[in-house]
Amino acid sequence: MKKNLGISLLLLLVCVATALGNPNFLIPYNAENLLNWVSLYAIIGVGVSFVIITGGIDLSIGSVVGLVGTMLAWLLTKKGWSVPAALLVTVILSAVIGLVHGLLITKVRLQPFVVTLCGLLIYRGVARWLVHDGTLGFGTAYDGLRWFSNGRIDLPFLGDYRLPVPLVILTVLAGLAAVFLNKTVWGRHLFALGRSEEAARYSGIRTDRLVIVSYVLCSTFAGIGGILFALDVNTVQPASQGNFYELYAIAAAVLGGCSLRGGEGGILGVIIGTALIRILINSINILGIATQLEFVILGVVILLSAITDEVIRRNRGRRQLKTATPTG
Amino acid sequence: MKRRHFLLPLALPVLAASFLVQCGPSSDGGSGKKPRVAYIGNAIAPFWTIAEKGARKAGAEYGVEVEVRMPQDGATDQKRMVEELLTRGVSGIAFSPADPKNQLDLMKTMAKQTHLITQDSDAPESPRLCFVGMDNYQAGRLCGKLIKEAMPDGGSVMFFVGRAGQLNAKERRQGCVDELLGRPEGERHDDPPDAEVKGEKYTVLGTRTDEVDFAKAKSNVQDTITRHPEIGCLVGLFSYNTPKIYEAVKEAGKFGKVKIVGFDEEDDTLRGIQEGNIYATVVQNPYQYGHESVRILAALAKGDKSVIPASKFVEVPAKAVKKGDVDAFWAELKKLVQ
Repeated sequence: MKKNLGISLLLLLVCVATALGNPNFLIPYNAENLLNWVSLYAIIGVGVSFVIITGGIDLSIGSVVGLVGTMLAWLLTKKGWSVPAALLVTVILSAVIGLVHGLLITKVRLQPFVVTLCGLLIYRGVARWLVHDGTLGFGTAYDGLRWFSNGRIDLPFLGDYRLPVPLVILTVLAGLAAVFLNKTVWGRHLFALGRSEEAARYSGIRTDRLVIVSYVLCSTFAGIGGILFALDVNTVQPASQGNFYELYAIAAAVLGGCSLRGGEGGILGVIIGTALIRILINSINILGIATQLEFVILGVVILLSAITDEVIRRNRGRRQLKTATPTG
Repeated sequence: MKRRHFLLPLALPVLAASFLVQCGPSSDGGSGKKPRVAYIGNAIAPFWTIAEKGARKAGAEYGVEVEVRMPQDGATDQKRMVEELLTRGVSGIAFSPADPKNQLDLMKTMAKQTHLITQDSDAPESPRLCFVGMDNYQAGRLCGKLIKEAMPDGGSVMFFVGRAGQLNAKERRQGCVDELLGRPEGERHDDPPDAEVKGEKYTVLGTRTDEVDFAKAKSNVQDTITRHPEIGCLVGLFSYNTPKIYEAVKEAGKFGKVKIVGFDEEDDTLRGIQEGNIYATVVQNPYQYGHESVRILAALAKGDKSVIPASKFVEVPAKAVKKGDVDAFWAELKKLVQ
């Protein structure tokens, strides 16, 4: 909890500053839109945090989002599949992608960077080839299904504020992820493995199996995110759908306290990190700051948070060293 | 030995993939003697899918083999594609430069080795033989007239586009701004895309770009509605922008209060016009771009230079599609792409 304090304060600060700058920030319309986007991006962020905790990386997330979105639109509109069948197949496809990543990394001993970089290229290419680079739209025939990505649930006592459905989906998925990570022995093993794979293996943890599971979870979350992104924008362009989303996900995970060296991270932090990124973007737009500066501001904030994190860690380490050294 | 088994599940997807590739679409028929011409777009979009159909139709009509290339990454991919095509040997290229000013060298190389014409987006300083397309500035003027019709009492306008720096986006936007501000026909200004321009009745608030990320295209519209709740008209400059505007305005429950005008003929745009929730769209004729380009290249390949007009401009004019004529236009479009 302590770890997320800094970023939570920053998030609050950005919210307050934006609301003061433009009171429309708080109107239901903007709040719902924001929560909707935060939820979609946070789902893929939660996925990648598993992999980052093991000390790995997944660069293929954006392409998985693209491939799954394309596949869903293709199966539904071109092949006439039923909705449950198409959803099932796309989710299984993303899980299989994660399985292949995990096997290549643990059994063939390839580096995660290389495996998932190749994945990034392959899935993007397959998506484009599948539909000959055409844009596929869901039209109006799937407005019911689209409720999952842009539906709103009326809440009692909250007036005009409604609950975006993706937020519910995120809450369920993140809840499961948090329980897995913090309350099960596999979760503890995952952290141990991220700290030192060798030490974990010598303590009898089946590290290979855990690494595979983390990649399967990562790709599956990316796939679920991909489905929701496709439904939300209602048209899928295989060449651009999800481009660079892995970087948003990784940035959110890092902002939220995951260490790229492995062994550290938490689900809540990733969600707050995602929220910070999305709210910064929203804030830039509604305050009328030059939008060309968007990436500059994002980059600076992530850099500052990384620096703060490192300084705090070093201080803590020094303090621990002091108390541990016998003074007498 | 047991360790070897893991390779099997890894090998299967690869095998399956290579099998799929075998059954995939084949790029050329490889039928011997026909001259080969190339048609190069500047992005991957439905617009270019329609253009491709026109190009292939003309290929069949005029007895040439047509190589169609669509770049994912604008100018960078185009360079590679051109180099590959020149190496293979083509007797003509119809090129849509993604970045005309900085692709002059590339176009000079093409013109030296083969017949070069530009289409969709022109590069007047290049040694191209002619340009097939519309005048984007005039199309912008037409769009401006439509905004005035949709919002006769005046109001504020925001533009949405993938890349504000791309020439056709710039010209469309400028034509629109000049028309809204009541500047006379011959007068062509150069307003920066993100600056607010105030006229007597109409105010142009600026331009939002999304780098062709659809999610961003939509959230840009949402943020604009939040920042300017009283905005009068939202304008989509690239084909996919208009459906994304439609989506966001629909979710905001602002149909009727916020007018929508756009470019190009995506299904969702046409559907919005049918419903009456999108006022109008300015359409080019990509099918005709493809068809005319290949017709000209085919003639050039056979040594017939009479197809090049003295003005070096083969015009395929833009037109407006509104509620009254959307059904007829859509039916015609469907027939064309079949």
